[in-house]
Amino acid sequence: MQETAILTNIHFEEVFSTSKGAIYQSDSENCWYIDFAGKLARFDYRNLLKLKKAVYQIDIENLLLDNTKTPDLEIIFICACDHCYVLSLLQIIGLKELLQGTFVMLELNHIIYDRLHRIVA
Amino acid sequence: MKDIIRTKCLISSDVEALINQQIKKEAHSSAIYLSMASWCNRNGYDFSSEYFFKQAEEERAHQLKFYKYVLDMGGTAISPDITNIKIEYNSFREVFEEALDQEISVTQSIKNIAARCHKEQDYVTLEFLNWFFREQREEEYKARRALELFDVIGEEGTGRWQIDKHVGGIEYAEG
Repeated sequence: MQETAILTNIHFEEVFSTSKGAIYQSDSENCWYIDFAGKLARFDYRNLLKLKKAVYQIDIENLLLDNTKTPDLEIIFICACDHCYVLSLLQIIGLKELLQGTFVMLELNHIIYDRLHRIVA
Repeated sequence: MKDIIRTKCLISSDVEALINQQIKKEAHSSAIYLSMASWCNRNGYDFSSEYFFKQAEEERAHQLKFYKYVLDMGGTAISPDITNIKIEYNSFREVFEEALDQEISVTQSIKNIAARCHKEQDYVTLEFLNWFFREQREEEYKARRALELFDVIGEEGTGRWQIDKHVGGIEYAEG
């Protein structure tokens, strides 16, 4: 009995996943859960967009070609968001891939939603 | 799975980014007009100075219209930072040449947003942009007419004084 209650409370649907991590959507909470770099973090609409912007803005090529002796770590800090990521270059590439896939799937979901529920054929 | 992004925002992130660029462009435009008003005033062209003050205000109004649209549609409007505004001009004519260039660049940039909207079938934003197209018709006409005065009246003798006097009277009567 208790088990089903927990399941209905946190009903996730996988949006996209790679070998590095996954992003789930929660319809009841109108948010997304990102399972990446060893933690599960909750992102609402505004914060997900801010995360996308922050990750996309990182110049990966520049970091790859950088031969100074600084550690290849990036801190992704999002204003007014509880989470922050400290990622290595490989992890950044992994997170970017995960986000790109997620936004493609969300766009696809939007198209399907339009076709099934919104547009009168 | 719910379509959360669409329920939060009417416009796509691409259109939102383009409009934010446009907001910056209008703000930049307004600042340039203000600088032109200053130059004209300093050099004794009071009517032209007044004309540019009005233009600066109009561009500011355009900026706010775009700004509010982004917010009303659920997007994030970004307040732009404006730098590199020219202070000096080489001649009275150059001021008006640059004013026309400025208007043309604004029109082209709005056309580019409309092209993107067509591609995405964003008819809501297209309809919103129509007001600006009508406005640009007037703006470009006025800027072109002002420049014409230099040829029609000529800059010799009291020519520039005459031109300045007529700049304030330029009006666009929609036919």
